[in-house]
Amino acid sequence: MNFPTQDFAALAPVGILSGGALILLLSEVFLASTRRGYQASLTVLFSILAAVAAAGGGSPGVIFNGQATVDAFSTFVTVIVCAGLALSALVGAGWLRARQAERGEFYALALFGASGMALLGSATDLLFAFISIEVMSISTYALAAYIRRGKKPAEAAFKYFILGSFSSALLLYGTALVYGAAGSTLFAEIGRAQGPLLVVGLGLVAVGLSFKVAAVPFHVWTPDVYEGAPTPVTAFMAAGVKTAAFAVLTRLALVAFQATPASAANSFAWVLAALALVSMLFGNWLALTQRSVKRMLAYSSIAHAGYLLVGVVAAAAAGAREAALSSILFYLASYTATVVGAFAVVAVLERRGRSLDEEPADAWDLERFAGLGRKRPGLAFAMAVFMVSLAGVPPTAGFIGKLLVFQAAISAHAYGLAVVGMLTSALGAYYYLRVVVYMYMRPAEDREIGLISPAIQVALALAVVAVIVLGVGPETVSKLARAAAAIGM
Amino acid sequence: MVPSSYYLALAAILFSIGLFGVVSKRNILIVFMCIELMLNAANLTFLAFARQSGNMAGHAIAFFVIAVAAAEAAVGLAIVIAIYRTRGTLHMDEVRVLRD
Amino acid sequence: MGDRAEMAVFWIFTVPLIAASLGVVVTKNPITAAMSLVGAFFCLAGIYVLLTAHLVAFLQILVYAGAIMVLFLFVIMLLALQEEILGVSRIKVMQGFGALGCVGVFAVIYRAILATGPRMMPQVGEDYGTVKAVGRILFTQYLLPFEATSLLLLVAIVGAVVVAKQRI
Repeated sequence: MNFPTQDFAALAPVGILSGGALILLLSEVFLASTRRGYQASLTVLFSILAAVAAAGGGSPGVIFNGQATVDAFSTFVTVIVCAGLALSALVGAGWLRARQAERGEFYALALFGASGMALLGSATDLLFAFISIEVMSISTYALAAYIRRGKKPAEAAFKYFILGSFSSALLLYGTALVYGAAGSTLFAEIGRAQGPLLVVGLGLVAVGLSFKVAAVPFHVWTPDVYEGAPTPVTAFMAAGVKTAAFAVLTRLALVAFQATPASAANSFAWVLAALALVSMLFGNWLALTQRSVKRMLAYSSIAHAGYLLVGVVAAAAAGAREAALSSILFYLASYTATVVGAFAVVAVLERRGRSLDEEPADAWDLERFAGLGRKRPGLAFAMAVFMVSLAGVPPTAGFIGKLLVFQAAISAHAYGLAVVGMLTSALGAYYYLRVVVYMYMRPAEDREIGLISPAIQVALALAVVAVIVLGVGPETVSKLARAAAAIGM
Repeated sequence: MVPSSYYLALAAILFSIGLFGVVSKRNILIVFMCIELMLNAANLTFLAFARQSGNMAGHAIAFFVIAVAAAEAAVGLAIVIAIYRTRGTLHMDEVRVLRD
Repeated sequence: MGDRAEMAVFWIFTVPLIAASLGVVVTKNPITAAMSLVGAFFCLAGIYVLLTAHLVAFLQILVYAGAIMVLFLFVIMLLALQEEILGVSRIKVMQGFGALGCVGVFAVIYRAILATGPRMMPQVGEDYGTVKAVGRILFTQYLLPFEATSLLLLVAIVGAVVVAKQRI
């Protein structure tokens, strides 16, 4: 067997991301000074390079005996992950600098996490997917515990770690059963297997992945972890982890949907439909009562996992498969831009205690947004755009994303899911628009907002532009998403 | 010769014991050990299926699982130390600032 | 080794293995739990040898019992957890439900295993499960996961240092 040079070349984006992480680690050794501004710029540079390498690398297809597939789908996922990484790094730069906590390790871990996500986007083997998930998860566990002031961050990291490694164990045991049923862990082989072992194994794998995408009833960790983790890390988790986990879930669901006994494929689709339904209902319902905007965004991310699952379920119908896959990809792109932007605003407005360890209970309270429209019109406008997009109101990216997902669901004859999706979106509009009401119609609290760091300003501007461009002229990206969806079928 | 179903049933028992420990124990370290038990159940399953089919892919997978367990243990125990420093306890009921 | 002798060896390892695993979940003392787990890992290594997985059995003792569990014990010692031992357990009712759920999960998995039927183990070649044979698979068929694992270990080192060092 020859050394697979070309196969390694296909993974160039991952090489760039992890190589960048090493450079940032070394920079902390050799270039450490009080000025660390270059680190965020380097991170953004590496993520742009990785995205360019992914986009320019073409689609060599199956590599490493089928364990990974570099195609338009994985390229699309890699580009979304890189965009999420770059935006979160910019938010992180501003947030950490304000707390004198900027270190190269932060960016290095984020880059490592992104390389895990990029690997996961191309994984077509359960074992390789498991290892990629671990690369992604271990970086995010460490990032969640990166800054430990007060009690919340360490506890968030701990909760994330215990439930994350528990779900990994479920996923691994499921993989073991699937290996027994199919004689291999390759997706291509799993599609040809059958029998009760396969059903139980795939069920355990699906439960493990549901933990990762935060679908109800496997969501219990999400609000606590999202609230306790440092805000830029939360943004990275909401954007990157969700995108990568949905990428592998989608690929695996396609395998399961094409399984030979139709009954097994059907039951898999029903289970996913049930998860989608309860995620949409509970996510939106629990978000309604939240006064902490950060926690509200955590619950809303559960609801968005539900909408994305509707897209996955729609892919079960062969006729709607292409539309469903492209809608998932478009939704992930729009959600990444929107949610990182929203967390950027939360990061700016976050209240800090007088001492390092003080944790004000109202750190992310709605009151913090009162009167923002008059005091900081730019910031308020950005937040309004993100909220409108999360609510799914035109002319924003979130609207097009939801439209595409529900269209796919209707063409797959999943009318119930589409209707519930639309109704819960209307419910969701209430708590998203409440933030807008607070910003523009409530009198301002008498307090000063510090200067917004230039890095966060850049991130906000990019996110606003992305959300509006994707909303007004979605053709280019949706065409790319359609091209990316034409695979694996 | 011991049939493969014996090994598989043993692995399922270990997995269930680990699962029970994760849902019922309150000490962070013991919960973590139960997760290790679940990973070992998966390894035993991989090896039993590998032996049953006569190929060695399961052995390579078990090798990776041991490496993953080591990586998880390193970061997990670091987090345990961090939480003990801020809290002074490893009892899960005490660790609940983030509830509600 | 004769059939009956092999079956006897299987049970010699299995009974203490299950007992030690139960020991992990029954005790409230983390040190007892860790020692039980070490015992369980040794028994498991014996079962791996029965499965002709010599390399993995060796790694099981070297890495799991030797490195990972020592790390656990080290952390337990470092944190001096005496007061934790007496911690109250979760309400018994919840434990009952948890046990029922786990028995249910076991039943589902066991039925799936039985449905595949009792399979006899085939004869395997002389080099099955040896370092050479498994190493060859690791560096050919499983090259990609192997490289990804190296990345994973690097991430774990960086992550552990970041989390455990003085807080920022």
